[in-house]
Amino acid sequence: MITTTGLSKHFQDHEVLKSINIEVAAQDIVVVLGPSGSGKSTLLRCLNGLEDISGGSFEVNGIVVDATASRRLRQQATRNIRKQSGMVFQQFNLYPHKTALGNVIEGLITVKKLPKDQAVTIGRKLLDRVGLADREEYYPSRLSGGQQQRVAIARSLAMEPAVMLFDEPTSALDPELVGEVLSVMRELAQEGMTMLVVSHEMKFAREVATKIILMADGNIIEEAAPQRFFEDPKEERTRRFLRQINEI
Amino acid sequence: MQLVFDNLPFLLKGAGFTLLLTLVSMFFGLIIGLVVAIARLKGNLPIRWIARFYVSIIRGTPLLVQIVIIYYGLVDYGITLGSLTAAYIALSVNAGAYLSETFRGAILSVPKGQLEAAYSTGMTPWQAMRRIVLPQAMRIAIPPMGNTFIGMLKETSLVSVITVSELLRQAQLLIAQYYQYMPFYLGIGVMYWIMSTGLAFILERFERRLAKAY
Repeated sequence: MITTTGLSKHFQDHEVLKSINIEVAAQDIVVVLGPSGSGKSTLLRCLNGLEDISGGSFEVNGIVVDATASRRLRQQATRNIRKQSGMVFQQFNLYPHKTALGNVIEGLITVKKLPKDQAVTIGRKLLDRVGLADREEYYPSRLSGGQQQRVAIARSLAMEPAVMLFDEPTSALDPELVGEVLSVMRELAQEGMTMLVVSHEMKFAREVATKIILMADGNIIEEAAPQRFFEDPKEERTRRFLRQINEI
Repeated sequence: MQLVFDNLPFLLKGAGFTLLLTLVSMFFGLIIGLVVAIARLKGNLPIRWIARFYVSIIRGTPLLVQIVIIYYGLVDYGITLGSLTAAYIALSVNAGAYLSETFRGAILSVPKGQLEAAYSTGMTPWQAMRRIVLPQAMRIAIPPMGNTFIGMLKETSLVSVITVSELLRQAQLLIAQYYQYMPFYLGIGVMYWIMSTGLAFILERFERRLAKAY
């Protein structure tokens, strides 16, 4: 579903991603861990075209973006990729001038050109799916962080993505609100959604992930199934990371 | 004061023109301002440069000079405009420059995450601008826009020099007839004040409606 081949990204002379190769198969739940500044968010942003890549290539659901292709071609490809992948942001990024329902149906109306009543039907169904059927008329400012993030997930799902990208979806949340977002993500995983998740939620990673990737300094350090990753890490860097995490 | 009341219909006709000038030039000013703001933010280098030059020229010269150039100056190049048309053009072009700066600032103040969210659902840059950024920018732009509106209402008095029969011009005609200054000037002062206050009131209501979501 997602493959990156030698993907690299630098800002001026600062190398954020150094030749990254990852593979996310259909229905995989891949969790990317790593200290801050490791490049994990940048990787996700590259995959959704929010950052232009500097080298290598990647493929999402059959659409290829190659750093050697012209800028125009790359932009065209990323726009097509965005239609097939949903993105959930750390800061939710809900549209503040639209209600919960308005946020969910915006893409259906503007991008998919669905008639309003049809979009509303889909939107209500999705709000119900994330447990917010009774909040459709609420503006984001009146919703808690957890509710906002669930609306944001519904907004992404509305576009019927083949894969969902989560960029630290619970990092901006108060601790007591993390659970409601994670449980929505769990349900999505159970329904067979392909997911690439940048997160610090170890319990979620351990229980839900099919594969864990540890990144540090723009490199992939280790890549393994959760059990092996947590019980028997091969790399010293991984062991150090896990020790740091456990001290918290 | 009796003189003012006796000639009220004549003055009200001037006030009507003042309002008309304000509304029409604001309408076109808004369009010009929006186009120029987007040109400055999204255009290629020559377009950005032209837009900057326009804003610089208009903001750097007095409105009175702009008015006389458009009405009297253009005649030298074979362009003869009616006084009302010249007034509309001068005021619109002037308001557009100021409003473009207001819009540019407002558009820039919409958080980057909003664009990213819009893009990630597959919107084109134009769709994201129209559906997501501009509605939020409008709300931010309203208070400074109000300043420009009210400033414009008062600056319409400048077109009296090209004989547009707006409020100040009407008062001057009455003064010439009666040789009485104070009553007429005071009278139109009050009328300007009432119109400004009314305009401010409408803008405030509009602002509150847009703020409903926040």
